[in-house]
Amino acid sequence: MGPPSREAWAQRLSAFRASPSAFMAGPEGEDLGRDLLSDLRSEKLNEQTKVSLLALSLEYPAQLWPDAPAAEAAASSLLDTLVLLPPRPSALRKPLLLAATTALVAGGALGPTSGASLRLLPLLLGLASGRDLGRGFGPASEQRPLQATACECLRELESCQPGLLGGCLGLLRGLLGQEGAVGPVQPLSLLLALALRNTLVIQARAGAGLQGLLVAGSSGTGGSPWTWTLAEEGAAHLQPQAPSWLAAEEGECGLAALEPNPEEARELRAAVAQLLDTSYLLAPVAQAQLLWLLGWALRGLRGQLPVLFKTQLVRLLGTAQLTLLHAVLALKAAFGEALFTAQDEDLLLRRLTAAAQHPAVPPPAHLFYLHCLLHFPENCPLGPTGEEAAPLLLGPQLCRGLLPSLLHDPMALLARLHLLCLLCAEDEEKEEKGQGQSPQLYLEDLLAGLRQRAALDGAPRALATLCFQASYLVAHCLAGQPTVMTALTHGLVQLYRDRPVLAPHFVDLLDQVGPELGEPLRVALQQEVVARPGKDEALRWHLQMLAKVADGDAQSGTLSFLQAAAAHCKDWGLQQALLQVCRALLRAGVRGGLADLLQALAWQLEDPDGRDHARLYYVLLAHLATPKLQVALGPSLVAPALASSLVAENQGFVAALMVQEAPAPIQLSVGPRRAEGPIPVLQLQVEVLEPVYSLELRFRVEGQLYAPLGAVHVPCLCPGRPARPLLLPLQPRRPAPTRLDVRALYTTLTGLTCHAHLPPLPVTFADLFLPFPQPPEGTELGFFEELWDSCLPKGTESRLWCPLGPEGLEALVSRHLEPFVMVAQPPSSYHIAIRLPPDSRLLLRLEAAQADGVPVALRTDDWAVLPLAGDYLRGLSAAA
Amino acid sequence: MAQRAMWLISHEPGTLLRGTVRFSRRYPTVEKRAKVFNGATYVPIPEDDPFLKALLFELRLLDDDKDFVESRDSCSHINKTSIYGLPVGGEELWPVVAFQKNGMIYACVPLVEQTLSPRPPLISISGISQGFELLFGIQDFLYSGQKNDTELNTKLSQLPDLLLQACPFGTLLDANLQNSLDSINFASVTHPQKQPAWKAGTYKGKPQVSISITEKVKSMQYDKRDVADTWQVDGAVTCKCDLEGIMPNVTISLSLPTNGSPLQDILVHPCVTSLDSAILTSSSIDAMDDSAFSGPYKFPFTPPLESFNLCYYTSQVPVPPILGFYQMKEEEVQLKITVSLKLHESVKNNFEFCEAHIPFYNRGPITHVEYKVSFGQLEVFREKSLLIWIIGQKFPKSMEIGLSGTVTFGAKGHEKQPFDQICIGGTAYLKLHFRILDYTLTGCYADQHSVQVFASGKPKISTNRKLISSDYYIWNSKAPAPVTYGSLLL
Repeated sequence: MGPPSREAWAQRLSAFRASPSAFMAGPEGEDLGRDLLSDLRSEKLNEQTKVSLLALSLEYPAQLWPDAPAAEAAASSLLDTLVLLPPRPSALRKPLLLAATTALVAGGALGPTSGASLRLLPLLLGLASGRDLGRGFGPASEQRPLQATACECLRELESCQPGLLGGCLGLLRGLLGQEGAVGPVQPLSLLLALALRNTLVIQARAGAGLQGLLVAGSSGTGGSPWTWTLAEEGAAHLQPQAPSWLAAEEGECGLAALEPNPEEARELRAAVAQLLDTSYLLAPVAQAQLLWLLGWALRGLRGQLPVLFKTQLVRLLGTAQLTLLHAVLALKAAFGEALFTAQDEDLLLRRLTAAAQHPAVPPPAHLFYLHCLLHFPENCPLGPTGEEAAPLLLGPQLCRGLLPSLLHDPMALLARLHLLCLLCAEDEEKEEKGQGQSPQLYLEDLLAGLRQRAALDGAPRALATLCFQASYLVAHCLAGQPTVMTALTHGLVQLYRDRPVLAPHFVDLLDQVGPELGEPLRVALQQEVVARPGKDEALRWHLQMLAKVADGDAQSGTLSFLQAAAAHCKDWGLQQALLQVCRALLRAGVRGGLADLLQALAWQLEDPDGRDHARLYYVLLAHLATPKLQVALGPSLVAPALASSLVAENQGFVAALMVQEAPAPIQLSVGPRRAEGPIPVLQLQVEVLEPVYSLELRFRVEGQLYAPLGAVHVPCLCPGRPARPLLLPLQPRRPAPTRLDVRALYTTLTGLTCHAHLPPLPVTFADLFLPFPQPPEGTELGFFEELWDSCLPKGTESRLWCPLGPEGLEALVSRHLEPFVMVAQPPSSYHIAIRLPPDSRLLLRLEAAQADGVPVALRTDDWAVLPLAGDYLRGLSAAA
Repeated sequence: MAQRAMWLISHEPGTLLRGTVRFSRRYPTVEKRAKVFNGATYVPIPEDDPFLKALLFELRLLDDDKDFVESRDSCSHINKTSIYGLPVGGEELWPVVAFQKNGMIYACVPLVEQTLSPRPPLISISGISQGFELLFGIQDFLYSGQKNDTELNTKLSQLPDLLLQACPFGTLLDANLQNSLDSINFASVTHPQKQPAWKAGTYKGKPQVSISITEKVKSMQYDKRDVADTWQVDGAVTCKCDLEGIMPNVTISLSLPTNGSPLQDILVHPCVTSLDSAILTSSSIDAMDDSAFSGPYKFPFTPPLESFNLCYYTSQVPVPPILGFYQMKEEEVQLKITVSLKLHESVKNNFEFCEAHIPFYNRGPITHVEYKVSFGQLEVFREKSLLIWIIGQKFPKSMEIGLSGTVTFGAKGHEKQPFDQICIGGTAYLKLHFRILDYTLTGCYADQHSVQVFASGKPKISTNRKLISSDYYIWNSKAPAPVTYGSLLL
């Protein structure tokens, strides 16, 4: 395949940009990086296409060359391409330098062992210092822009590898200070400022001095100007160029450890002054960067350094440039009183206030300035740091133009409203002055206006949202002011009266605000709703509202509202909404009248689902105590809430009523045999690992050997507390052993109903044994003989050898067959009669026992029993 | 202090995605730093499509708002700045600087050089203001002098090259993209002297300086006893200095006549080298008195090549240029309106144009109008429910004119008229549009003789002034009107 044409590349690039991940996963993804590098040298592609290829590599190096070796190879290839360019003007040199830098940094390949790094760095430094690099580096006309580009590349390398250029400080100072034909001021200034800052931070951390780093030429002696050791130090904790003010205050960025000697201090001063003096030549955004860098570099250093900034301040304060004012604020935060007197602080605040409302400043900047006002780094802050507050000097007079009006867009209105709230909070603290309009009255008028707009029929939802956001903000800031809360409550209730369709907003507001507004608003809304006739067309909203606000108070009003409403709840949705209210009342512990209502609903509602729910609630109300009801109906703690209010409201309820599948905290075992009564009864031992309530054990017999078994109920079981054995009567249809499948249904401590599958329980042949009634004294032998004879001819007889253990026959009989012995001549002869329900018998004669066994004569009236009996007898000695 | 990525998105309501990414740029070396600084709280920059969706949703540009959606409409979801957190891939990308202007959404993500949890205050993040400047700069570049879509597309196609110049590694070097464009073109020039970064080359040709002062006056008039009318002037001084030499020095002085209104809240261009403290401190916050500094206002500067705004100011003039009242009453099926306007005698009675727009919101189309005007003529835009009273170039000798009449409306159509959230019921306004050339309300002027130029050759100096109206509202005094805090305090 030949090299792709221009069109093919254009297609390929646009496909890549549409979704880089999808493209790289596709068939073409793998080759893209390689093709790109090779086609940069293709003579068939024009420069414009090559620039677009380089632009891609500037944005997506990690996709093109995902690991360090690939990045290293790519950077090498890019540098080769650069060197091979013919010496005529070319638009490729600059993007090639940028691309090689980007590839090395983004691929993590930059380092002292990387060949590409060691080629790129001297090249950049040579270009930056304006050295003649020979023909390969293009015509003279390109030198100056390339010099700037090289500075930018070096700055990016220094940013990502702080300290790298620590050894070049002297050189850079020299370049910046040169008279005559000099390099571009801005790139050199920014590069020097960054390298200086990084060096100061790293040296301070290492407890070292500046070691003459600032003096030109000192670095040249050591050979390589790259300070990889400093860089390693820096890389360990990549330094924020403008650390958070708060973090910095905690001593994070303290440079106090660095104590330059007088000579060093003089050099440092000179370097900073040099940078600041020419800062006027920088573009405003670059000036701002310089100020951030120097401000935070010199913060905490001893000496008169902050004063150096003074000369710049007046000029900076005069501008409307966002970055410049922001940088001044950063200086303010860094130096405080050392740079800004109280008067200066006042002036800065005034400028900021003016900028926050100036018609010439764009609206997004207004909002940012407002934010800055509320986070203003004061010389003497009063409140806790980190919280939004109006600065002390920002009085109502200063704020006059910053207060909200209905004409503002939502974001500006909320930002300004916040300021107004802070003023009102202050106003409350001071004494009522009584002159003019108090901020509080203005606030109330404004809120009224917002509500009026939200109340309009057909108004867009954004208006309602804004009104509720404003209410929330006020409730949040002024919760402690009862007059404001009362007015707000009244206003909101009026709004609901005007537009019940806003019920979801009310529910949301009640969820979000604290009790200062939430409680009175809830009560007022409840009264408002129940005072309505129940057949309002806004019934759906009333019911949604009521489900949120209804509680045990004023229950008669609520119930009669619901009764009236029930007749109008024709569709499923309304019925569900109605039942939601019932559910809320159930949770609130309302009982009396609610039971009647639920009963009525259970037959009155048209929808079967509604009727079922009503019935269910009624059953729950009738059978569960209030605390349990609350748990059953309460929101689920496990399941995350969904966005839909309907689903969310149902969720706790569903979780509580649905049976949860769970691993069993219950252990069940068969206890000692009872061998009494008319039918066999299994004695079950139950143990629990956690408290279990309303336990129901359900048993199922495999096959149809037994009649269905009834469930066993236990009200409550606690771990460690001995439980009485559970009795499980068995009704065999045939005398045969089986296994019982066991399931447990129970309620946990948290009110959830759980279902568990327990291990199957074996029912052995011997579990079915029942004794015959004892015949009168003296007639036992006759009774036995009669039984013995009656087995034939229908039944069968067998003889077998039952091995005996060392304990002998007597022990064996007393352990296993005691209840069934009819005639005994210990220790050698026993006649045993066993009843096997439903109507079989098993008779044994154990006579003339020997030391190791006893011959057994066996008769039964049921053929099928014979092998079972044989197994049983042979197993006896083993069991012993 | 850098940007991780930036986007330009055109908002296209009615299309499937409701927007298209017109341009995007990512900065992988900055991303590398973000990963280290943000640590566990790092959220990667998403691809264009998911970003577009998340941003449009957050800006409420995606869907109709029929239903309450908690993540959008909850009362605690409050944004007070143009900086957002966007849910992307289950995480939140923050901070995203974004705003909409002229149907274009501008967005970028500044680098935060620390952990993002807890969120640091925006004021402490240097990249925020830089991000704003970058976006403002792009916006200025795209829309300065741009007239149609073709031009916009041309400018959009220039962006990649320009950003390679102005923001090669995500750190903004110059927000003035026009300057970057110039510097590409001026690249071949060598300079013997230190050259400001904001000046790409030098001017060659006839020296000339032009200064134009534009004042905008806005007003809110209520004609009510308990609400004070407000009005304010804001001015902009635009210069274009075509002077030879790398660093020519120029000083422009703005002067006021003896009864002129002092300039306040003066913001200057960064090329201004020094400022008198009286200029810096004159503020609209302070109560006015006779001792207020009233000029001359001197601005020494070294001009950039292109036309620039030397300074902006505001001022409080003693009276509004046109004082009026507007009464509107609903009488059965029609509205009865009465308007009276009076030009203040001190104002130059020579307009380029002067019109009063009387819109009727949240009503149907106009079906019938009966009216009487004492001066000028009335145009009726039935479908737009709008009356325009064309007053013309001059007020009559009496300086006072009136309009009265009745307006009848048809049934309200749904789609034609957007809902107005202010003009509800009787709340209504008329808005004045006018322009007066060679005039400023403050009296502010730049005297040709006071312009000092320290450069070779004597430049030709031209000055011009104009006053235009902006947000000049006269509210119906027969119904409630939105008031500002200022109008209540006075």
